Amino acid sequence: METVERKIRWASFLIGAGLLVQLAALWIVHPLAFMGFLMIGCPLVLAGIVMYLLSLIHEKGPEAR
Amino acid sequence: MPVSVVLLFCFAAAVIALFVGFRVQLTRSREGKILAFVALFALPVMAAWTGFSEQMDRATSTQFCLSCHVMSDFGKTLYIDDPSYIPARHFQNNRIPRDHACYTCHTEYTMFGGVKAKARGLQHLWVQYIRGAPKPEAIKLYQPFPNSECLHCHLGARRFEEGSAHNKVPDLLSRVKANKLSCVSSGCHEFVHDVASLKDDTFWKEKQ
Repeated sequence: METVERKIRWASFLIGAGLLVQLAALWIVHPLAFMGFLMIGCPLVLAGIVMYLLSLIHEKGPEAR
Repeated sequence: MPVSVVLLFCFAAAVIALFVGFRVQLTRSREGKILAFVALFALPVMAAWTGFSEQMDRATSTQFCLSCHVMSDFGKTLYIDDPSYIPARHFQNNRIPRDHACYTCHTEYTMFGGVKAKARGLQHLWVQYIRGAPKPEAIKLYQPFPNSECLHCHLGARRFEEGSAHNKVPDLLSRVKANKLSCVSSGCHEFVHDVASLKDDTFWKEKQ
């Protein structure tokens, strides 16, 4: 597996985990759920998106391959 | 947007993102790259934003404020069967939206009022779970209740401007409007959330 693909895989897992945390936090109306959403869900999704965007930057073009 | 739609959207976005992760070889093709962009950028951004906006809206709800045990007595004061209790009178007569009752009166109607309210909410969480919550009767406002919160709705209203009690003294209204005479702590509308006397109160039961 190429490095780029490995990054995409990690990005998708981070985003998936983050969205599932957000989903769980949306299930309950409580301040702790709100904090879980902000402090765990959002950073995971953000980290995944950043990792995905970085993988795009680092991907070699067809001429480089 | 209904909560069920937000939940469904978040779930679908998570499933699609994980699908791309498990079938990462798909991203070698042009269509796969488009799918990856949608699944790992567009959908997560949209799902996180809708979730965030739902959470921010929810954080202003009465249910949210009263979900901490220490606040439950304050919630009960909204049902006191006595019109001299200002929060109860406002709540029971729909003068404030019942599902956003706390936030309607306890946020500042200024540019950063909402942000300040959220910051205070974070402080409350710290007190509730780390420092230890005080007894409900020991909870006080950070600063005297500003008249601007009352005037946000009452200013210009006929009953407020022309009411006999408000015009007994010539400069009373101007002092109220200038926040020099408090609506709630000057002896005029002093019954607010009197949690200490809850056991002696009778409560309004809403007819179904």
